[in-house]
Amino acid sequence: MREPNAIDFWRGFALITIFINHIPGNTFERYTFSQYGISDAAELFVFLAGWSIGIATRTRDGTPEPRWRSVVRMLARTVEVYRAQITVMLLALAIIAGAALLLDNPLILEWHNAGNFFADPIQSVCGMALLTYQLGFFNILPLYVVLIGIAPIIVVIARVSRVLALGLSFALYLASLILDWNLPSWPGEGTWFFDPYCWQLLLTLGFVLQDWNRTSPAFGRWTRRLMPLGVVIVIVGITLSVLDIRPDPLTVPEPRLLFTFEKSYLTPARLVHFLGVLLAFSPLYALIAPRIGWIVGFLSGLGRNSLAVFSMGSLLSLIGQLIRFQTGGGLLVDMAVAGCGLVALGITAWFVEWRSRRAPKPRA
Amino acid sequence: MVRRMAFPQSTEAARMRGIVVALCLGIVPAAAQEAGMPAPSLECRVPGSQLYSVAGLAAAKAALEERHVLRILAIGGSSAPGASASYPVKLEAALEQAMPHVDVVIDHRGLPGEIASGAAERLRSLVADAEPDLVVWQVGTHDAIARVDPTAFAEALDESVAWLKSHGIDVVLVDPLYTASVATDTDYNRIVDGVRDVATREGVPLVRRFEALRYLAGRTEKGEGHILGRQFRLNDLGLRCMAEHVALTISASLARTPAPVPPKETPALTEPQRAPG
Repeated sequence: MREPNAIDFWRGFALITIFINHIPGNTFERYTFSQYGISDAAELFVFLAGWSIGIATRTRDGTPEPRWRSVVRMLARTVEVYRAQITVMLLALAIIAGAALLLDNPLILEWHNAGNFFADPIQSVCGMALLTYQLGFFNILPLYVVLIGIAPIIVVIARVSRVLALGLSFALYLASLILDWNLPSWPGEGTWFFDPYCWQLLLTLGFVLQDWNRTSPAFGRWTRRLMPLGVVIVIVGITLSVLDIRPDPLTVPEPRLLFTFEKSYLTPARLVHFLGVLLAFSPLYALIAPRIGWIVGFLSGLGRNSLAVFSMGSLLSLIGQLIRFQTGGGLLVDMAVAGCGLVALGITAWFVEWRSRRAPKPRA
Repeated sequence: MVRRMAFPQSTEAARMRGIVVALCLGIVPAAAQEAGMPAPSLECRVPGSQLYSVAGLAAAKAALEERHVLRILAIGGSSAPGASASYPVKLEAALEQAMPHVDVVIDHRGLPGEIASGAAERLRSLVADAEPDLVVWQVGTHDAIARVDPTAFAEALDESVAWLKSHGIDVVLVDPLYTASVATDTDYNRIVDGVRDVATREGVPLVRRFEALRYLAGRTEKGEGHILGRQFRLNDLGLRCMAEHVALTISASLARTPAPVPPKETPALTEPQRAPG
């Protein structure tokens, strides 16, 4: 088990934010940082995934592990994430169907695109296996499957040249924004909520920056120097979101996606804002960690077991939504839902580590 | 342009064809207010007063008259109850039968999430992508289920509808589904009322699905049951009737809309053209 550290801490923080934000309408939603900026916890989560790949594919002293081993390690991880997505989708559909039956309320079947599944299970079950059928709020894991699936390519290219990896990744990002590339949804029309062609840039950035951070003293110097710029970007982000100012997609020039704030495409404004958040907040962990006691351990524990915690969190937020619907919501219900959810996430992390201690598996 | 497989037309669609044709031939303006309005298929029949409120659809009318193409962006709801009978396919068939010289192009997009938090933003990008003449928006069910504050919901919806109108795009709103367990739910009813108020304030047509399904629920049921019980049968019926109810509302609203002012005589080509402004 790793000691608490900044990466796991922020990952845990992103997981809790995603859990709260996935119970729309709840009281605590407005207190998450996602409400006060252009980018949100999804960016943080994907960036840290890239950063972690950088850590995972090297030994402690920084020598890269053999290429084939990195490739196999990431393919194994892809299978694991895919398995999690399929399990979570099945359980989510069962929770929705079960709630509809139990409460004698067919409205619940329409929940966040679940209606398609119940109306057309034949196509939908194929779409589920292909990841092209996604429920609302259950669309980060499909992105994650694709990203970890292509990560070996990024890692192998970056071993040759980090600039080349970043350049290729950025070129794909830019082309997707200009030409509007995205993976299709099916059944039903439309495209993926998280466009993998665009979001891969954040994973690559995380991976490459981790490496620079490790090897180059100048990198650390510059991130400290640029911190005020980060703070300015964060303040601009807060101002824009509080005043509800955003570009109108029908009046911006073409190519539209270069100018709007769309989450699906990680548009440049979101990317710049996220980099600003990184610059402004990356020194924060060292300052607060000694002062917030057990919270550091708790969040790091969540972050260490991010896949299990994320999966459980998405199911818990769905259950939270159902409880809010049935009870009518309100502050007390929200406090109970959020409180029980956080405890359950903590237990999930503890359980995964307890199980792996009891039955040690050979490391990949 | 609509890029879908051809499916055999159901008898339902055929029945609807006749009705919508009749509506579009001019029976509507009077009929829309009358209880004696020609009814859609038997199982979906609801008195007009309980089914919709009509309003002008200037952009759609202009598209019909000038281009003979009507681009519709259908937002929300499931798209695939049994593929061939899916709502967008049925709606397109119904409108094309009603307007034989018009190519109706329907894009259907789900819009998961709440209007009051995030989904309104996504709507804007969907609209910018599709560039429709008319948006048919099933709205409110998610917000009602998420227990969004009804006032915040109505404000966000009003803002979105005003935004669409400011870009010369017509809107037809479809209010949330009805089921027995929400009949007396205060907050749910406030969301339904919110959709109605926004439709009135912004002057856009409204399909009163909640009322229509409540009406259908109160009717004595004969024939087909549902293994999961009455509420599920009603829900199925609601989804089946969606296309008919929306097509009726659009047709009635179009019939009510005055034809666009014909463009002024273009100056003879020999005369020098003045730059506008």
